[in-house]
Amino acid sequence: MIEIFGYPFVTNAFLGALLVGTVCSVIGVLVILRGLAFVGAGIAHAAFGGVALGFLLGIDPLFSAILFCIGTALLIQLTKKKATLREDTAIGIFFAFTMALGVLFIGLMRRYDARLYGYLFGNILGITRGNIILMLALAFVVLLVFILFYKEFKFIAFDEELAEASGLAVGLLGAIQMALIALTVVVSIKTVGIILVEALLVIPAATAYQLTNRYGVMFFLSWAVAVIACIVGLFLSYILAVPSGATIVIVSAGLFALAAIFSPKRKRCRVCGREP
Amino acid sequence: MNVVKFERVTVAYQHTVALADVSFSLESGEFLGVVGPNGSGKTTLLKTVLGFVKPVSGKVFILGGNGGSLRRVRSRIGYVPQRKPIDPNFPVSALEVVLMGSYPSIGVLRQPIKKERERALATLKAVGLEKWALHIAGHLSGGQQQRLLLARALMQNPELLLLDEPTAGVDVASRKRMVELIYQEHKERGLTTIYVTHDINEILPWVDRLMLLNKTIRALGSVSEVVSPKILEEFYGAAVVFAEHQGKRLVFTEDRHD
Repeated sequence: MIEIFGYPFVTNAFLGALLVGTVCSVIGVLVILRGLAFVGAGIAHAAFGGVALGFLLGIDPLFSAILFCIGTALLIQLTKKKATLREDTAIGIFFAFTMALGVLFIGLMRRYDARLYGYLFGNILGITRGNIILMLALAFVVLLVFILFYKEFKFIAFDEELAEASGLAVGLLGAIQMALIALTVVVSIKTVGIILVEALLVIPAATAYQLTNRYGVMFFLSWAVAVIACIVGLFLSYILAVPSGATIVIVSAGLFALAAIFSPKRKRCRVCGREP
Repeated sequence: MNVVKFERVTVAYQHTVALADVSFSLESGEFLGVVGPNGSGKTTLLKTVLGFVKPVSGKVFILGGNGGSLRRVRSRIGYVPQRKPIDPNFPVSALEVVLMGSYPSIGVLRQPIKKERERALATLKAVGLEKWALHIAGHLSGGQQQRLLLARALMQNPELLLLDEPTAGVDVASRKRMVELIYQEHKERGLTTIYVTHDINEILPWVDRLMLLNKTIRALGSVSEVVSPKILEEFYGAAVVFAEHQGKRLVFTEDRHD
């Protein structure tokens, strides 16, 4: 089995999977605790417009996806605030709008580019050294910003109104969080694809949520689940010759099912006698 | 010094007036009780103090300023919001919740250290929750959660304390202890406090001044000035009965439900 690492594209694939697993699992905890799962889906679909624009203009689709995703993330935040809309409504608007732009850009290309398929469904074996460097840089930025605002993000997730009343810059921190989700989506596109990236953002963190009541531990468990899912999924996809992105997501879902079944939170709280 | 000063403040949500032409000021160290029925603008009053809602007219001065850096002003205000149960699955302990009160002052990059942890434990002790420090916050009872949120507000070392129905959903015995605790902290820390409630009896023994609010200020003054049959009957729109219990004056209206 180990001989497969002799191929540079396999090494790149594993490095890519580990990077994606790490970033998604950490940001995923914030997504879960703040109830932003639909935001992740909205931003992921915005990436489709960005990738299509990249193909149309002949630039690296990941760069155009970064602009599209961050732009959409911030517009969702702004629309929610200024237009006094519910967040899911704002997401619903931009979700459809950016997808429509993507379809429009593909139409303007007047030709079919097979690489687009790789961005939609992931092409982990197509990850290049250049992609790895870009992913590493993005992952570094995401994790650094996350560490900088670790405690502030915790407070906002716990109670946004209370955090704002205490003097935290909740609007700015919310925008930073949205930008982090956008960057995480871009980091992950090559590995699992636009359609499945939401799963890696949500499932490892949701799995960890089943297993612990400790904030710090939740990040570690989420990371462990994501890394296990990425490595096992990649091996299985290699052995079974099936798409890697889908296999990684299916393994993640399997781990979630196990965690949900054996979750200590499902047991009745013996101390307080309350249902959890 | 005026800690809070409202000058002819009117607040509206779209076309619905929540506060109309409200003027009052609060001196440092005062304990003001605000009483009014549901929808009378009590919560809006606190949210105006916090800068969450902007008046359509009038001026608000908080802690010596009228605007300035809103975030800096907020960091000097301790706020206990209207009760909403803490998610029992949210992964934070009671100690972590109290520590959140120190976040605005320690700034970005730094994590709470031993000094803050010791202060948080002392604050938990002050509200009688030291035994529960490492318990999941959402697993505490309703009354304990309210005391926890009070501890978080006190951890901020506030100059102004805002309490929005802090005893709502709390059993009668715990309610009395909670109000006593708030008064004790108010005195010991030299706080200026605004306590909002719909139950006048809860705060009568403790407050320096009492405000009867129903969109506009119906009465404002010392307890002896405000608690008169004429003023209260006008405010409640019903006959008022006074009673004495253990030296404390209690007020009942004829159509009282609780």
